[in-house]
Amino acid sequence: MERVADGVVTESAMGFFTDVTLCIGCKACEVACKQWNQLPSDGYALTGNSYDNTSRLSSTTWRHVAFVEQMDREVPAASRWMMMSDVCKHCTNAGCLEACPTGAIVRNEFDDVYVQPDVCNGCGYCVPSCPFGVVAVQPKSGVAQKCTLCYDRQKDGMEPACAKSCPTDSILFGRVDELRVKAEARVANLRAQGKEVRLYGVDGEETRDVGPLNAFFLIPDRPEVFNLPPKPVLPSRFQPAAYTAGLLAAAALTALGARVFRRAGGAA
Amino acid sequence: MQTSQPHGQNYSAAGNFSPDAVAASMQRGDGGFGRDQETYFDHPILRKAHWGSDIIYYFFAGGIAAASAALASLAKRGGDPDDAELVRNGRYTALAGALVSSVFLIKDLGRPERFLNMLRIVKLKSPMSVGVYALVTFSTNAGFAALDQARADGLIPFNPFGWLAKPVRALTGLPSTALMSSYTGVLLSATAIPVWYTGRRHIPAIFACSAASTGAALQSLLLALFGGSPRTEKKLATIELFASLAEGALLLDWEQRAGDAASPVFTGKRGARLKTYTLGLGIALPALLNLSSVLSRKTPKKHHRLRTILTSSLALFGGYVLRETVVLAGRDSADDPRAYLRHPE
Repeated sequence: MERVADGVVTESAMGFFTDVTLCIGCKACEVACKQWNQLPSDGYALTGNSYDNTSRLSSTTWRHVAFVEQMDREVPAASRWMMMSDVCKHCTNAGCLEACPTGAIVRNEFDDVYVQPDVCNGCGYCVPSCPFGVVAVQPKSGVAQKCTLCYDRQKDGMEPACAKSCPTDSILFGRVDELRVKAEARVANLRAQGKEVRLYGVDGEETRDVGPLNAFFLIPDRPEVFNLPPKPVLPSRFQPAAYTAGLLAAAALTALGARVFRRAGGAA
Repeated sequence: MQTSQPHGQNYSAAGNFSPDAVAASMQRGDGGFGRDQETYFDHPILRKAHWGSDIIYYFFAGGIAAASAALASLAKRGGDPDDAELVRNGRYTALAGALVSSVFLIKDLGRPERFLNMLRIVKLKSPMSVGVYALVTFSTNAGFAALDQARADGLIPFNPFGWLAKPVRALTGLPSTALMSSYTGVLLSATAIPVWYTGRRHIPAIFACSAASTGAALQSLLLALFGGSPRTEKKLATIELFASLAEGALLLDWEQRAGDAASPVFTGKRGARLKTYTLGLGIALPALLNLSSVLSRKTPKKHHRLRTILTSSLALFGGYVLRETVVLAGRDSADDPRAYLRHPE
């Protein structure tokens, strides 16, 4: 299957399919990611909310398991305990990549969004430009860091550390087109069992701006329940209105200044 | 740079469920997270930029530098010999502002020694890249103008770049100055932060008007302190009046149109500070004090030195508070997942 990403036709986009219905919340992916990528500890803070003490993705946490507890006392059987291993989505139209002024953020040969740590100068503009709140500047290294989709392992033909360590295959790694086929089959299977599930990041409303996601998810509830935005925005979309407003104002002010100085000058 | 962010402690919203919500969830016995769950423990979806005081100073000084250059250049074109002090002050302050703002921009980088990496590519899609080239071009032009002025003042015997300055300034002077005054607003608007992107039709124009009003205020202040023609003073007061009134009108229009989306800017302590120091003391009060002399048809003879020092200082502080409010409001907005869910645009 051919896909167009940033004007480049790629045939072998590689990505993740993360199935929430299979995740058991063991956090092996978080640990494997930290180990392989040599990311420092985040300390021992407790959220007090759930078993999720990681809270969210960060510059030093590139996999994060969210724990969603939906308890129903009246109908206990309706209670649910869901876990989702979140990760950088590797968007087709990536806000961080568009915002990067140094060209440190690139799309690599596996069609994934990669921050070159030796080029990034830590301006931090990618951070508010990511519609998923993924990329972050790490204070010690001074550069933006996020999931590389184990670029180094992929170059050696290995699957990323998180997918390798996942004991239930909730995280699958592979060609995105093949993963989509598997995901559709899984959705059909679950729906046949009467379960309400959907894919996030394939063709839903969430892909309006950012396009299909190379790391997509199967979720059994609304996206916001898992802290996924239902309609992520692509910041570059706002540039025309912003430039127009700014330059119109600058033009009007220049005209005002020219008039003030010319009028008085002529009278002199 | 912000220091490290310990997990579980860095969000204002985490664990911040209202007593009512907690009581209701105890009643339901669902632990607070039943099927009607709206967010994930109110954890932020978006991530806030690390930008703090350095970037606020950069925006402030950059705006003043752009307006100072524009005022000097317009006064020079106007050709009134009375305006010679403004031309001189404007050219020197434009260069000083360009240098100061560059220092703040570079200091804010996670790796300041890699600033030049910004110049390894030109990327029109990134407002940060466009802005850096605007800053570099503007600073070069400001340097040319300052050299011209230094030669006219007899500080240097000749201008070594005189031959280069003319074509470069003619081609790039206006666009780089216009961008310098407003691109910082585009920079904020073109992000995923709700308070910024919902304000995209206002923020860049407000920043441009604030650049003009603070630039004119600084030039008035310099004339009041170091001497200058009362006629020049009146022209600057006229520009400051109209620019600041436009700024105030745009701020109020933004508040009206954005409503709830702009609440981090206009409500709470931050909003009160903006309304007091920018709208009240920075715009309304100087406008009232300067109105009669601006509207008067008589050629001013006397320099209202004390009044100018007061109004200019208030206008400058108001402009600073404006940048501070808009930049810091982005943090609140990024930390509020419901804002992003409510304003998907």
